[in-house]
Amino acid sequence: MTRLNSKIPSGPLESKWDRHRFSEKLVSPNNKRKLTVIVVGTGLAGASAASTLGQLGYHVECFCFHDSPRRAHSIAAQGGINAAKNYQDDGDSVGRLFYDTIKGGDFRSREANVYRLAQVSTQIIDQCVALGIPFAREYGGQLANRSFGGVQVSRTFYCRGQTGQQLLLGAYSALCWQIERGQVTMHPRTELLDLILVDGQARGIVARDLVTGRISAHTAHAVVLATGGYSNVYYLSTNASGCNVTATYRAWKHGAAFANPCFTQIHPTAIPPGGAHQAKLTLMSESLRNDGRLWVPKVSPDHRLPGDIPSIERDYFLERRYPRFGNLAPRDIASRAVKVVCDEGRGVGTGGQGVYLDFSDVIEQQGLDVVRERYGNLFDMYHRITGEDAYQAPMRIYPAPHYTMGGLWVDYNLMSTVPGLFVIGEANFADHGANRLGASSLMQGLADGYFILPYTIGHYLATANLLPIPEDHAEARGAIQLVETRINRLLTVKGHRTAAMFHRELGTLLWNHCGMSRTEGGLTSALQAIPKLREEFWRDVMVTGSGDSFNQELEYAGRVADYLEFAELLCHDALHRQESCGAHFREEYQTEDGEPRRDDARFAYVAAWEYRDQAVPVLHKEPLAFEFVPPTMRSYQ
Amino acid sequence: MIRLFSHFQSSAGKKMVIALTGLGLVVFVVFHMLGNLQLFQGAHALNRYAAFLRDMPILLWTARIGLLCMAVFHIGLAVQLSVRNRRARPVGYLIHRYRQASIASRTMAISGMTLLVFLGFHLLHLTAGVIDPAFSDHLDAEGHRDVYGKVVHAFQNPFMVIIYLAGQVGLGLHLTHAISSSVQTMGFEHAGLSRLLKAFGPVIGLIVVLGNVAIVLAVFLRIVR
Amino acid sequence: MKFTLKIWRQEGPHEPGRFVTYEAHEVSPGMSFLEMLDGVNQRLLGKGEEPVAFEQDCREGICGSCSLVINGIPHGPDQGITTCQLYMRRFCDGADITIEPWRAKAFPILKDLVVDRRGLDRIMQAGGYISVNTGGAVDGNVLLIGKDQAEAAMDAASCIGCGACVAACKNASAMLFVAAKVSHMATLPQGRPERERRVSAMLEAMDREGFGSCSNQYECEAVCPKHISARFIANLNHEYLRAGIVESGRPSEPESPHAESS
Repeated sequence: MTRLNSKIPSGPLESKWDRHRFSEKLVSPNNKRKLTVIVVGTGLAGASAASTLGQLGYHVECFCFHDSPRRAHSIAAQGGINAAKNYQDDGDSVGRLFYDTIKGGDFRSREANVYRLAQVSTQIIDQCVALGIPFAREYGGQLANRSFGGVQVSRTFYCRGQTGQQLLLGAYSALCWQIERGQVTMHPRTELLDLILVDGQARGIVARDLVTGRISAHTAHAVVLATGGYSNVYYLSTNASGCNVTATYRAWKHGAAFANPCFTQIHPTAIPPGGAHQAKLTLMSESLRNDGRLWVPKVSPDHRLPGDIPSIERDYFLERRYPRFGNLAPRDIASRAVKVVCDEGRGVGTGGQGVYLDFSDVIEQQGLDVVRERYGNLFDMYHRITGEDAYQAPMRIYPAPHYTMGGLWVDYNLMSTVPGLFVIGEANFADHGANRLGASSLMQGLADGYFILPYTIGHYLATANLLPIPEDHAEARGAIQLVETRINRLLTVKGHRTAAMFHRELGTLLWNHCGMSRTEGGLTSALQAIPKLREEFWRDVMVTGSGDSFNQELEYAGRVADYLEFAELLCHDALHRQESCGAHFREEYQTEDGEPRRDDARFAYVAAWEYRDQAVPVLHKEPLAFEFVPPTMRSYQ
Repeated sequence: MIRLFSHFQSSAGKKMVIALTGLGLVVFVVFHMLGNLQLFQGAHALNRYAAFLRDMPILLWTARIGLLCMAVFHIGLAVQLSVRNRRARPVGYLIHRYRQASIASRTMAISGMTLLVFLGFHLLHLTAGVIDPAFSDHLDAEGHRDVYGKVVHAFQNPFMVIIYLAGQVGLGLHLTHAISSSVQTMGFEHAGLSRLLKAFGPVIGLIVVLGNVAIVLAVFLRIVR
Repeated sequence: MKFTLKIWRQEGPHEPGRFVTYEAHEVSPGMSFLEMLDGVNQRLLGKGEEPVAFEQDCREGICGSCSLVINGIPHGPDQGITTCQLYMRRFCDGADITIEPWRAKAFPILKDLVVDRRGLDRIMQAGGYISVNTGGAVDGNVLLIGKDQAEAAMDAASCIGCGACVAACKNASAMLFVAAKVSHMATLPQGRPERERRVSAMLEAMDREGFGSCSNQYECEAVCPKHISARFIANLNHEYLRAGIVESGRPSEPESPHAESS
């Protein structure tokens, strides 16, 4: 791999994107017809990209492993989507959204990318309204906003608690239109298992039909990965159980650099795990922190019921440590504060994993009805899962792996280090730095898919020299063979432990050593333990059934096998980054009062890792220059 | 117009035809019941009413043909859709529990068939006079056909009463679901009136059945002689 | 807790299926229904047997993947939730539980409890969209949409496409699904220009897929995890009737404008 070239246009921040768009080459309409683009994944980024590319006239081959493109995990986003519309006239602007995102990301993202994101955010809302997304409205008919996720302006647009689902349905309906027009060919229940590179360019994928088990090659002129994040490497996360790292990890093995994998966001407000049977953690909307107060008993152990503990014996730890933001402190900070009090043994509930999220004060001040109207559905959800009534006693919450800021390295054009391989949405590393603010992931997914990729991919297709490739090209045949070999290997181990057991063990290992706070010792021991676990996996995994039929266990085992390799990369990155920034907290690098200590002199760069067969991955650094927002201490105290 | 016709070829369109023709038949049933209530005014009134209808053969036969057409469409399309609906689930559930479907809605096919059989019987019995020919030719004092006498004769027979009451059960059940259902199928929906519309079917069904049953029982219990 | 499960097993779309009885041991009341099934599957795997295939993904009631008929009711005994939101504390210890897939001609079984719901996607492709291009949309606030209208559209739009309505309907009809989509778009001004074409195309597609028709029993509404009301079906019928009348007044082929060179 050569030097990383981020291809950031020169000139003033405000006009970089405009000038860049103008300088990009275009593909003429009759040539677009001859070009095929593969889009893998149909979440917000994938569906919006596929539909827009289809609308532009390209032929699109679109893949998802779900039964329908509408089920991608973007659907689960509850809170909302940010945009610098300033409809509330509360001082918001493109510049402020840019600044908040850069600062929220703890100065580990690219200024140019983030500024562009803030610029196109306004277009996203307009586009979504045109697509018929039923955003919340005021009585006068204008779009409603709320304040969300640690910012001081109201810029979040929402559709009840279902913003993700509504935005995805909008993109999905646009995709349906293009499928009907014949511009997009949809391949549901088809999973990417490898990339096909020809002459160093990404020219196709190998995919397995999950119903028939057929493995086939699909070739194209460019490949777009919109395959989401990798939080499921922790086994317990807020992600859907299907979310996986396979696509991006396979791309990494083909030479695409993986950037900042250690930036994994832990969301503070999930329902605590209940036992070994737990399959996933359920997220409670962050909006609960608008009115709920987090606390734990001051001394431990305290076996009284929460209602019996007088307020003087309660430690409202977020309000104590961050008086200015209080319970609304950003996600990484809140999560870590929860971990600190639980590590002190003051946690509540099963295994001391939990803190109270208390609504009694707001119920007293504003009445039960107000709380019921605002959070009724969340309280119902809590009741359903835990069997407890949060109107009577405080909720218990605990942090959970949620979003991954890290991902495949991409340049300003969203192209990875493999020419022709574009990466969009959560799958790339681009815009959130070391920590993502609430309601920003929907914004980034749609920005990439609707408004950025369709321009930049055109330039690539117009300038790259792309010869047609048959589906039985030697590289394609070779890739199919590798995939088949791997599947056979999984099926022939016939060991004694299930893939889920390995996954759970890996997850526990990572959560303990590479979770909310990390140490050199812990990471080193994880790096020793992971290869052993991987070796055990390939010796003792049990996969039933055959490769040529519908086989969920086989799908899962393949994903776990990739987690077992990827986890090592995650730990390498966390070990090398000897600073604390954003979601990455190294215990060795903190101030005396337990705040993270960032090291701009040594680590103001993007860590992009290159795959080496049977060896430690190689680090490449993309320095981050902050021309417009000088890095400051990210203080929420 | 051809396009409107093709619109009714879909299952939703056919359902609308069923609803429309059904509503037409409901109107008939209501007027039929109201007309027959003249029994309580005595032989004179009822026989005059019957003669009045018979004196307008064009109107009478137009109405009869119209009713027949409606019935044919109603039943034909209902059978067609039922067959189609059955095919939509070739393998049934081992256990199937209803959550809120009313008894009436679940027995539409049975009540409909009961009604059809009863209708055939009723036409042969009181309209054509085939089943009990003994009474078909009597004339009353004014020279009108003695419909009153025929009815009184018929419902003094307990077997007839049982058959007619069974028919009324079928009619009542059918109407209970049918009327509200037709309103829904014709796309009429009003948040404020929804309860009223839901009650519409059972209420009209009940009124019609009560009226008809009153005639039968009044004769059988010798209240009307 | 302990349960006896009677589960539908079927190797593939063309294989015959049958019920197989399994025991679920060591179930805790706080387990979700799917976690209980996970446990059953882990034990089956331990014995080298093929686990029961069932569909699931987000496990928080929004993706619409999970699809089990539990004791004769789609998504189980509680209302307003999906299967993944059902918890074992809802059942009595030692109970018998029958688990079946969605059953409809339009939802062929792929394996065990997994069915093919692409029929719903094809209905959407027939017309369930607003055809606007990306880019060039006017400002979101140019179009004023009253709160009530927006809320009504949102009520309809909250459909997650799980297909429980089809599973519960005695006719395996997808009317509630189509009604939700049609009503969502017909309620908003953005969806008005195409409303006639949309409703006709989607209902035709529904017939083509082999779904049944509506008998107005409203079982669909009763099992819908998102409480989509059956009044949207009346709305759908209204739209359809309206489309029939409006479209019958239009020329069947758009008249070509004056011979202009293009």
